Amino acid sequence: MVAAEVDVPGRGVLLVQASGLEIGLFRVRGRVVAWRNHCPHQAAPVCRGRVTGTLLPSAVAEYRPGRDGEVLQCPWHGWEFDLLDGHHLASGSRVRLRGYPVEVEDGNVVLHLPERPALDAAGRGAATRPRP
Amino acid sequence: MDAGPGRPLTVDADVHQSLPDLTPHLPRHWRERWAQTGLGVGTGYHNPRGVLRQDTLPPDGGPPASDPLFLLSDHLDRYAIDYAVLTGPFVLPLGHDPDYLDAVARAVNDATAAGWLGVSRRFRGSVLVNADDPEAAVAEIERCGDRESVVQVLMATTTREPCGRRRYHPIYRAAAERGLPVALHPGAEGAGGAAPPTPVGYPSRYLEWHSLLPLTAMAQLASLLCEGVFEAFPDLRVVLVEGGVSWLPSLLWRLDKNYKALRDTTPWLRRLPSEYVAEHVRLTSQPIEEPPHPQQLEQVLAMVDAGRTLMFSSDYPHWDNDNPEVLFRRVDPAVRARIMGGTAAELYGLDGPPPPEQLPPHRSGGAADVLQPTGYHE
Repeated sequence: MVAAEVDVPGRGVLLVQASGLEIGLFRVRGRVVAWRNHCPHQAAPVCRGRVTGTLLPSAVAEYRPGRDGEVLQCPWHGWEFDLLDGHHLASGSRVRLRGYPVEVEDGNVVLHLPERPALDAAGRGAATRPRP
Repeated sequence: MDAGPGRPLTVDADVHQSLPDLTPHLPRHWRERWAQTGLGVGTGYHNPRGVLRQDTLPPDGGPPASDPLFLLSDHLDRYAIDYAVLTGPFVLPLGHDPDYLDAVARAVNDATAAGWLGVSRRFRGSVLVNADDPEAAVAEIERCGDRESVVQVLMATTTREPCGRRRYHPIYRAAAERGLPVALHPGAEGAGGAAPPTPVGYPSRYLEWHSLLPLTAMAQLASLLCEGVFEAFPDLRVVLVEGGVSWLPSLLWRLDKNYKALRDTTPWLRRLPSEYVAEHVRLTSQPIEEPPHPQQLEQVLAMVDAGRTLMFSSDYPHWDNDNPEVLFRRVDPAVRARIMGGTAAELYGLDGPPPPEQLPPHRSGGAADVLQPTGYHE
């Protein structure tokens, strides 16, 4: 158990420490998701970015706002990540956030974490994974 | 950081301290204008992310990079950086009133001396000049260039004419006489009375404008080389800050080729253009290009002789900063050490690690967990 579910904000992040990792808990579409606070691009504290919407893929010179509250914007380079599945939203990019399965039991957020995450010297490693 | 005096240094060649209140450093007759308009001239290009990183807000208030003690811990200590070369909150755009811009330059330099250079020996400063007014720029170099911890002259990459032209030579003379490199920093491309930021006019969006900033650096480097600036001022060193890296081989190959054919149009040159660059010109690394395969960047670094020409920079606290912990990890360690600090230490006369300092207690980080854009643009 890493947090009480009630402490996860409706929009924004609750940062928690678990197994030596900093993890951001977000609420999206009514459920709690957990992403490692580590951008796969340049190791920024990605979970401290803005929770926002985006402009959906569109025709030329067309602007289609959408997905409000479902996108995390990295505080450094602004990379947009899908809070539901961790994918980077830019076409052609294959990176995604490292996430962890979440269960809510009796109002408590329970994370299923790997025993010993493998990290390189820069703290990268498992976060940079191609899409399946 | 290791303690040994002979250990390799890490030097960040582009750190933007914020100076939120220039008013006390401005003459009374300019204060109202500063309060009402600031610089009053912008590029018009909007970055929806904000230019300043949302995670660098000092815990004791103020905009990012406005608290020197917090910057020391949040950036220099965190990444084991020995020295930061401070490049200020902005370079001066081509405005219309030279007297105002000259006054702002003086205020920036005095605010930096008062609020930053005295705080820590790990901060090294720039003399910001309004290059569009060369006489005033020289006066400012004479006024501030010999100050403790000042290591370079700083001007906008954008100038009204190609910067190798004679009207700018007094700036280079004054800098070279003091052993100060002249750094050219982007940001004013297309602003105010400047030429459009590309030769075909104004692109629509920040993404395009930002991606094309190397155009200006390329044009200025060609001008400096072909106008014979490095023959006229053999001690001059020029730093192209934040202007990209991977274009350099292409430009130098073209210049060398054309020089071989058209040497007599620049009879004052005694060497290939590329040879002047190796001796006189340094580039800062951020924002480093990110090709799809890392070995492609390694090939570019070999082409530019990066161990001699390239200097690490972060651009803290700007949105497009580079993280030194993930940079150049595949590069030969000796070359990487040159990039991360060896070359900058030579250029800026940094003889060894900074001495231990007694600093007042300060908070080391941990701003609010949920952050919103500051709306503080430069």
